[in-house]
Parts: sequence; structure tokens; C-alpha cells
Amino acid sequence: MASRSKLSQTQAAWLLLAPFLVTYTLFLIYPFFRGVWISLHDWNLLAVAFNPDAKEFVGMRNYERVMWGKDITWSVFNAPILQTLGLMGVALSIFLSRMGRLSSSNAIALGVVSVLLVFLPGFHPGEGGRWYDRRFWPTVGNTLVFVGFAVPGVTISALLLAAALNRETRAMSILRTLFFLSQVLSVTVVTLIWQIMFSPRQGLIANITETFGGTPINWLTDQQFAMAAIVIATVWWSLGIAMILFLAGLQDISKDIYEAAALDNAKGARAFWFITLPNLTRTISVVVILQIILHFQVFGQPHLMTQGGPNDTTQVLVRYIYQTGFRDSELGRASAMAVFLFLIMGSFSIIQFVIGREKN
Amino acid sequence: MNRSYYWLVLGLSIPAFLWLVPTLWMVSLSFQPNEVLARTTSSTFFGLIPLPFTWDNYAALFSFGQTPKWFLNSFIVAIGMTLGVLLVSTTAGYALARMEFPFKRAIMVICLIGLMVPEQAVFIPLYTMFAEFGWHNSYHALILPRMAVPIGVFLMMQFFKAIPKDIEEAARLDGVTWLKIFWYVMLPLARPAMMTLAILTFLYAWNDYLWPLVSAQQREYFTITLGLASIQSNFAQSEGLGRVMASGVIASLPVVILFLIFQRYVVQAMTAGGSKG
Repeated sequence: MASRSKLSQTQAAWLLLAPFLVTYTLFLIYPFFRGVWISLHDWNLLAVAFNPDAKEFVGMRNYERVMWGKDITWSVFNAPILQTLGLMGVALSIFLSRMGRLSSSNAIALGVVSVLLVFLPGFHPGEGGRWYDRRFWPTVGNTLVFVGFAVPGVTISALLLAAALNRETRAMSILRTLFFLSQVLSVTVVTLIWQIMFSPRQGLIANITETFGGTPINWLTDQQFAMAAIVIATVWWSLGIAMILFLAGLQDISKDIYEAAALDNAKGARAFWFITLPNLTRTISVVVILQIILHFQVFGQPHLMTQGGPNDTTQVLVRYIYQTGFRDSELGRASAMAVFLFLIMGSFSIIQFVIGREKN
Repeated sequence: MNRSYYWLVLGLSIPAFLWLVPTLWMVSLSFQPNEVLARTTSSTFFGLIPLPFTWDNYAALFSFGQTPKWFLNSFIVAIGMTLGVLLVSTTAGYALARMEFPFKRAIMVICLIGLMVPEQAVFIPLYTMFAEFGWHNSYHALILPRMAVPIGVFLMMQFFKAIPKDIEEAARLDGVTWLKIFWYVMLPLARPAMMTLAILTFLYAWNDYLWPLVSAQQREYFTITLGLASIQSNFAQSEGLGRVMASGVIASLPVVILFLIFQRYVVQAMTAGGSKG
């Protein structure tokens, strides 16, 4: 044994952990609790900047002002479309888990989300009542619509591409690179490209429609198309990661199964449906949940392409938090919304964690 | 290879080309004169071929305006953040993977919980905190908050766990200290994993938008990502479409080059971060 005095294992470990623990505590844990604390105050950004005592403890008032209203009641079938979707989700989760095509944790996750979808939209202002914040729930709704189109859009196209590109040849690897390339661009480059692509006067899409005698659509300022335009730009941008994850998942499926199936005449689409999909369920759920977490936090695309418009149809949660905090200077209310965002994201992260731990 | 394979490649080339069209169009527009673009953006084959051709937009970018400064800022911030994340993640990752000490499990659990906190949920308190320190509009304000990312620690921890224990144990028996083992034995072995983490962090830092948007209010502290956002709203009037597109190309060039060179590492990082994170 060496004779020089040295650090014990514990001391060395803490020394190595120190840089991480300091930054982590200072820039993540502390801000998180501070955010909760701000959300319990009436906190004006400018007033508090000039006078630190200009804040007032208001308890849960901010949450009430954001999420609740005057004379709120609950009734069945207040929002039939969402609630029917929820009921279908419940039925689907029971059916799929009975069939054994869905693991129990996936089924529980789908079931819980669906039950919430049936229950929550039932709240609405009664006669003479109103929401305290008229924009909050529509904003959450827009965010869900965005997630509802972007996630299946990305997942389905990435899955099909991955299945087609899953061969180790030079041509396929070049094609994979081409599809992945847009993923490394920044959100501001993506919105720059698509703003001009969608422009009714200068846009490539408009130029092509005009050549074929069509009338160009004013994508970004038309209430019907603005969200669609943002979803298209997003799918184009963020297909890459999903495709890479699917390719990794496909590598794990043994070639023997396909060879055995080919003997039974299952090739192409049939092999994809009966072999690839069932063997890929875990990867699919990981990708879907990652995408939900990612796209629920959408900010740059609507902020830069449509500024939340026209008529608030593309206003999303993070942009509303940003505006409430930094344009209206109402940090208390903005923080209450941020805590709401965290709770939703957190529950999806837990589902992701559980699925990640599950063995195939 | 059989015939159906060639049909597949051909069939996939069409969507791949369409996928590339928006980017190609940006590049092509950046090489066309602003006067022409003010009239039409579809001069030659819907504007996808840069004719009439000019270098002027790029020359203008680097002769006046703040683009060179923003470009430099992006490099400083991205490199600073990359070095910071490497330092924090390798040290903590090694300690958590290979050493025994009290409260180890508790720290792991706290890290896992940290993975669930999205930056969008903490940017307001971070803003007030940095405002109290008087730190906004500086490089360290842009770098520091992003160093607290537990995902890097998990990536490094997984890597260190996979290294066989005998090398380390032999060194221990010779009386080498823990810190020396870390520095001289483990770090050189960890180079591929550090590479992966570094590239991922660089890409992330270069493209970060929300935090720079609230923290850097003075234009001389803008990153190129933020600067591009600030000029794109008025592209048609003041700057000229060609010049804005040239900024977009310049802003993308470093990350695209980095990606094309180190593709293997990027793909590895995304697979590891996606399925395990």
C-alpha cells in the first residue's frame, strides 16, 4: 500500500460529484422550487425588479385565476368529440390488453389518459358564469391539437421510412442521411424556410400551385390552415430522431423470423403488419411518449411563423407562459401555468420511465 | 441485389428529394440577387436553381450587420457549454458508476427526478435569479443553466459501468488514487462516449432558442439562432430575402458539417438518449 496521504473513496467521490451537484442544485432544483414559490405570489416582473418587496403572497389564487372561473359546473357530453375519443381510448385499452397486444403499463397509461379525456372536458361555466382566463383552456386545447397531429404524423412516417430504409447498403445510408438532415437545423432556420415556403406571394408552394392554375392558399394567416402549416413544418423538422429510434428497434428483431415468415409467403406489407409491428410495440410507445413530451413544449414554430395567430388558433401553452411572463409581466400567473406544464410533462416522463424499465 | 431493391431505392429517392427541397430552396435563394427576388422567387425551375447567380448576399453578411458577431457568440456559447457539460457529466458519471459512498442512491433518484423537469418549466425562475445576480447579457448567463442536464450524467454513467473492472482494480492494488485512476485510466477510455456527448451538446447549444431569447436582450449578445429570429420577421422589406436566406445558410453550416462528419456519434447518442433517458 502506498504511504502518501490520500482521499478516502467517499471524499474522492464527493469531490468528483461536486461540479454536477453545484450546477444541478443551483440551476435546476433551486429554480424549480423557486418557480413554485413565485406561482404562489402576485409577482409583477417590473415592480419586483425595482422593489423586491413588491410581491404579495396569494396562495393558490394564481392557479384559480388561470384554470378556474365563476360558476363552473360539470355535465356529461359537454365536449362530445373529445369525450367520445376518450371513451374509444378506454375501450381500446381494455380490448388491446385483453388481446395481449399491449403490456399492462401501456394499457394503464392509455386508460388513465382516456378517462381524463372523458372527465375533464365536462367542466364548463354554468349560466352567467365564465372562465377567469378565457385564453388558457383554448391554448391548452391548441397545444393538444398540435400534439394530436404532429405525433402521429411523425411516428407513422418515421416508422414506414425506417422499415423501408432498414438495409445496410450505401444507397440506403445516403437516403437515411437525407431524411435526417433537417433535424439538425435550428428552429429559427426551420421557421425561416417554411415561412417563405408557405408565403402566398413568394412561396414555393404558391409558385407551384399557380403554375398549375390553382389559387395560392394564404397558409399562415388562414384560420383553417395555420395549424396545419405548423404541423407540416414540424413533421419535416423532427422526423429524424423517431426514424433513428425505429431503425435501432428494427435491428433488434431477429432476421430468422422474417426468413421463417417468407416461407409462409409473408413478405412486404404482410411481414410489416404481422412481424415488424408486434415486435416493435415497445419502441413505438417510447417514440410516441418522447414525441408527446417534446411537442407539448412547442414554442418556436408558432412564435415565429404565426405569432400565435390568426385569432389565437395557434397560440400554444409555452408561448402563453412566455407572453404572460415577459409581455404582461405577470410572473405569478405565468409560473402557475409553468407548474401545470411540469405536472403534465412529469406524468408522461413517469410513463416513459416505466416502459423503459419493462423487459420485452 | 435484386430488382425489387432497385425499385425501392428509386421509390425512396423521390420523397428524399422532396424532403431536401425546402433546404435546397433556401440555399438557392441565398445565391440570387435581392432585386430579382423582390420581383419573383421562381426565376429558374421554381427558383431551385440559383440563376441569376451572385455572391453579394454572403459578402454583405460579413461586411456589415451583426451576423459575424452573432456567429462568434454562438461558437463561444456552444463550445463553453460543451466543455462544461463534459466536465460535469464525466466526473459525476464516473463517481456514480464506479464508487461507493453514502447517499449514492438518493443522488441517483434526485437525478432521475431532474430528468422530468423541462426547461420550459424553470425558465421564469431562472430569469429572475439571473436578473438578481445582474448576469443577463453575458456569455456565462447563456452557458450556465444548460450545464445542469442530468441526461449527460446518465450517458457517461452507463458508459463507465460497461468498462471491465480489472484495469481499475489492478491500479487500485498498486495504490493509485481514485482521482488519478479517473484522470489517467478512465477518461482516455471514455473518449468515444465523450465525443458523442460533446456533439449532442454542441448541436443543442447552437440551436437553443427559448433561454437566449429571455436572457440576451442586447443584440451584441445574440447567438446566431436568436439573431436570425430577430431579422426574419422583416425579411421582405429591409434586409432583402437573399440576405436573410444567406444568414440561414451560414447559421446552419456548422451544425450540418458537424453532423455529416460525426454522423455515427449523433445517431448513437440519439439512440442511447432516446431509449434509456
